[in-house]
Amino acid sequence: MTAASKIAAAPVAQDKLRALGIMALNGMFDEMDALGVLRQAATELLAGDIAIVSSFGADSAVLLHLVAQVDPSMPVFFLETGKHFPETLAYVETLKRQLGLINVTALHPDPADLARFDPDGTLWETDPDSCCHIRKTEPLEPITEQFGGWVTGRKRFQTRERGVLPHFELTSDDRIKINPLAYFSDADVNAYKAEHGLPEHPLYAVGYKSIGCAPCTSIVAEGEDPRAGRWRGLNKKECGIHFDFNGAIAKPMAATAELKLFKDGAFTADPFRAWAEGDDPASVRYTHVPLPEFLAARDAFLANPHPLGLLVSSGDKVENVEGDLSRFASIAVRFPAFTDGRGYSTGRLLSERLGYGGELRAVGDVLQDQIPLMRRCGFNAFVVEHEPTRKALREGRLPEVSIFYQPVGTTEVPLGTRPYLRRAAPATR
Amino acid sequence: MEILTGNELLSGAAVYLDADGNWVAEIDRARLFAKDEAEARDAAIAASKATGRIVGVEIETVKMVDGRVVADRIRERIRAEGPTAPAFPRQELGEDGHVSI
Amino acid sequence: MYRYDEFDAAFVRERTAQFSDQVNRRLTGELNEDQFRPLRLMNGLYLQLHAYMLRVAVPYGTLSGRQMRKLAHIARTYDRGYGHFTTRQNIQFNWPRLKDVPEILAELASVEMHAIQTSGNCIRNVTTDQFAGAAADEIIDPRPVAEIIRQWSSLHPEFSYLPRKFKIAITGAPADRAAIRFHDIGLQAATNAAGDVGWEVWVGGGLGRTPMIGKMINGFVPNEHLLAYLESILRVYNRYGRRDNKYKARIKILVHEEGLETIKAQVEAEFSEVRGGVLTLPQEELDRIGSYFAPPSFEDLPATPIDIARETILDPAYGRWLDNNIFSHYRPGYASVTISLKPIGGAPGDATDAQMEAVADLAERYSFDELRVSHEQNLVLPHVRVADLRAVYDGLVEAGLAEGNAGLITDMIACPGLDFCALANARSIPIAQAISHKFAAPERQAEIGDLKIKISGCINACGHHHVGHIGILGVEKKGTELYQITLGGDGTEHASVGKILGPGFVADAVPDAIERLVDVYLGRRETPDEPFIATVRRLGDAPFKEALYGTT
Repeated sequence: MTAASKIAAAPVAQDKLRALGIMALNGMFDEMDALGVLRQAATELLAGDIAIVSSFGADSAVLLHLVAQVDPSMPVFFLETGKHFPETLAYVETLKRQLGLINVTALHPDPADLARFDPDGTLWETDPDSCCHIRKTEPLEPITEQFGGWVTGRKRFQTRERGVLPHFELTSDDRIKINPLAYFSDADVNAYKAEHGLPEHPLYAVGYKSIGCAPCTSIVAEGEDPRAGRWRGLNKKECGIHFDFNGAIAKPMAATAELKLFKDGAFTADPFRAWAEGDDPASVRYTHVPLPEFLAARDAFLANPHPLGLLVSSGDKVENVEGDLSRFASIAVRFPAFTDGRGYSTGRLLSERLGYGGELRAVGDVLQDQIPLMRRCGFNAFVVEHEPTRKALREGRLPEVSIFYQPVGTTEVPLGTRPYLRRAAPATR
Repeated sequence: MEILTGNELLSGAAVYLDADGNWVAEIDRARLFAKDEAEARDAAIAASKATGRIVGVEIETVKMVDGRVVADRIRERIRAEGPTAPAFPRQELGEDGHVSI
Repeated sequence: MYRYDEFDAAFVRERTAQFSDQVNRRLTGELNEDQFRPLRLMNGLYLQLHAYMLRVAVPYGTLSGRQMRKLAHIARTYDRGYGHFTTRQNIQFNWPRLKDVPEILAELASVEMHAIQTSGNCIRNVTTDQFAGAAADEIIDPRPVAEIIRQWSSLHPEFSYLPRKFKIAITGAPADRAAIRFHDIGLQAATNAAGDVGWEVWVGGGLGRTPMIGKMINGFVPNEHLLAYLESILRVYNRYGRRDNKYKARIKILVHEEGLETIKAQVEAEFSEVRGGVLTLPQEELDRIGSYFAPPSFEDLPATPIDIARETILDPAYGRWLDNNIFSHYRPGYASVTISLKPIGGAPGDATDAQMEAVADLAERYSFDELRVSHEQNLVLPHVRVADLRAVYDGLVEAGLAEGNAGLITDMIACPGLDFCALANARSIPIAQAISHKFAAPERQAEIGDLKIKISGCINACGHHHVGHIGILGVEKKGTELYQITLGGDGTEHASVGKILGPGFVADAVPDAIERLVDVYLGRRETPDEPFIATVRRLGDAPFKEALYGTT
């Protein structure tokens, strides 16, 4: 740990904040005066006793740009979890150089913790909370004690839980958190980035809106909550480090259920859940709505602003929702038994005839011997309950005939190309 | 009386559960379950299924005729004796075909 | 005939590897039997009463000598020295061991054969006229289209888990020798007003528990749209066919319950979406595949009449064989030869490895290396010079295959029945054998003339009993095998389903019962030329019923 140089007296912050009165402090600044908030904190409230943890993610540039304006030597900590996208690591260097930050420190997890809890690097898969704990909370803990105040990049709009977020907060262990961007919207962030010519995170352009460690970050669909791509489906909305600085919150939790959604060549957390009795069509989110339910309350579902999926069961006619398909971020087609092949026709109708291009997942009795056929019928995601099948997918050994006779799917050999009916399998999706 | 029968996975040969828990080729060696032994019979079925080596375990009713076990159904008599036309000896269990529960 | 190119070879190789992996996973216990069963069935591997049974596809019944030799080799090496040719123009081996099956498949692949889709709820081997490409009455050789359908239907991703099995038969001749009206889809060559050859499409035919004669759903589908039309039918069936009851899952039930017009409307709606799309068959492709089926290099021979009467005087057995087992060829000086697998007292459709080798020899020497399997469980040498018939006959005599009974009362169809089949309720082969012995005398068979007896050991009707002029259905009642007799079935273009005459007979009584029916016919026919089925149609059931059960 290279940042252990400064031992500060935390109680000062508490006294100062109490003296000022948190209400008063929060009333001092215009909602959008991020620079004013940060300058007050860095130069008066917590002079020399403030630091920032940055993820160097998609919208980190704005806050770091503010930091650089106030004090380029303010300590910036980067949690080098060992699981970042290479693009993120490159981006750290880009921002350091371009913004002139001169006090950036990478915090690494304790090798002993890694050896003990995550020897093969797959802890994220089985227990993401513990993974966060050893990679983020633990390395940060000795550092948090050293500063009376911390700058965060949190914003009100980001998630529902953050609907109320002031500029200044007092934490349970009597430190101050400064949230200069509390009132910034996505558009404000983008406008700021544009105005100041800030470099984009390389992955932002390809659809990542909120970027954390590589395994737990996925692309966010258009119109989706930007943080939906983080810890997709794990009921994990926040990394522990935001909740508290004493590490108490981020206790390792029981291992998350094994990942069952296979997509883009890997098992990944599933943001969707099944429709439940009593769900409200107007407010339900990340739910596969059974097709008959959708038709029964179509208007309410169409007015619902949240990401939704559609569940097509055997016997449902997808033609009945032809005009609404673009509403769905995911369509699940149920195979009640692997011998029930109706879903193959459904898959082809959706992907070939009705032009649905989103996530098309097979659910139900999904086994390795059928997955190659499902893929050819347009399926690009599979919810797999059968462990040998999961194993086969993990190992990339599906019992597959990779060449085939029939023109099926949307990318066909042009007519008249010979031999006419034949083609090889596309690269495994 | 009842016996348990099935086909051995590797050879496909018709086999019968004997009194020692072995699956054997000869119906005469089959364990006879009396009517009040349904529990033992069902336990044996469950144990056989667990081995995964006997396919299509079925209960067949039989009678003792002149000291031999004779199945009530023609189908089972043919399974026990081999095809009648053209007549062939039954499939032999391979060396690797001896299964016990 | 069709020859694999690299693509076909690689396809079968991969499929063999895939199945080997599935067998392996079953052996290691990764797959349980419930999971393995549909997979093995889709590759033609059944578990029967005594052992596994492997059904090998003979696409549209066409074989080369080399392929027949391979079947002989497999029979010898992995089985018990024989194979059973089936009503679906396939061959079945009754005694393979599970662990040998991957090896058998590799052997088959080496001669461009496989067991793909010979079972399971998928599109099965396409069947056709055993005289396709040779028959004098043919409008068009159906085999190129049959091959294209084979390719289109092989491991079709959408249609591998249909509600139930799906059988397509195709014929290029007006005389229907492929029973197309008793298939899920039947295709019959047709000519439109412009003189183009296309296909009449029949749908919803079938035998089994609920026999149905197919209904014509489209009177003319041109070649270029045929696959699109088939895909339309299959999609409607896959989506709407019943899956709640396996006995009501065939397309015949869908057509029957919904009505032809409803199904036709659905198919046409689907067709209007896919017509002209990627399934449009280019003429060049048809020509490319067709070139594989180009006629062999026939010699220009004068028409050679066969003087059967004279030959009969010289050698009665040869005369009978000429009379019954020769079929008119479209080329002068050539004939097609039916090799009967129905020796008196034999098991219908069985051939030993030595017989298969002998037949392969004859095909190579006398029939441009071509062989056919007929749905009547016989073999065919399609292109034999009339001048070579005697040599062929002599070769067949040597192999024990010279029975001159094609089309006669002893040329019966019989399923394997309860001697082998796990589904059967009663034995079939012993019944066939007993009837065969009863009518063994050649003179008597000749007097009776054309009479098709078909025997099934259960309601699934693999022995086609519904379309036998006389059909025999084995059932089990109180531990006894009983045989119901049906009358008046016909699998040809004059399709009809036989009617049950009355209560069943015990096995021993069946040959006599058949004899009484035959006696009614012989006594009541208008002329010696009136065939059995015509007499039955003219007289109706009554006199036959009376002969079996007396007056009431």
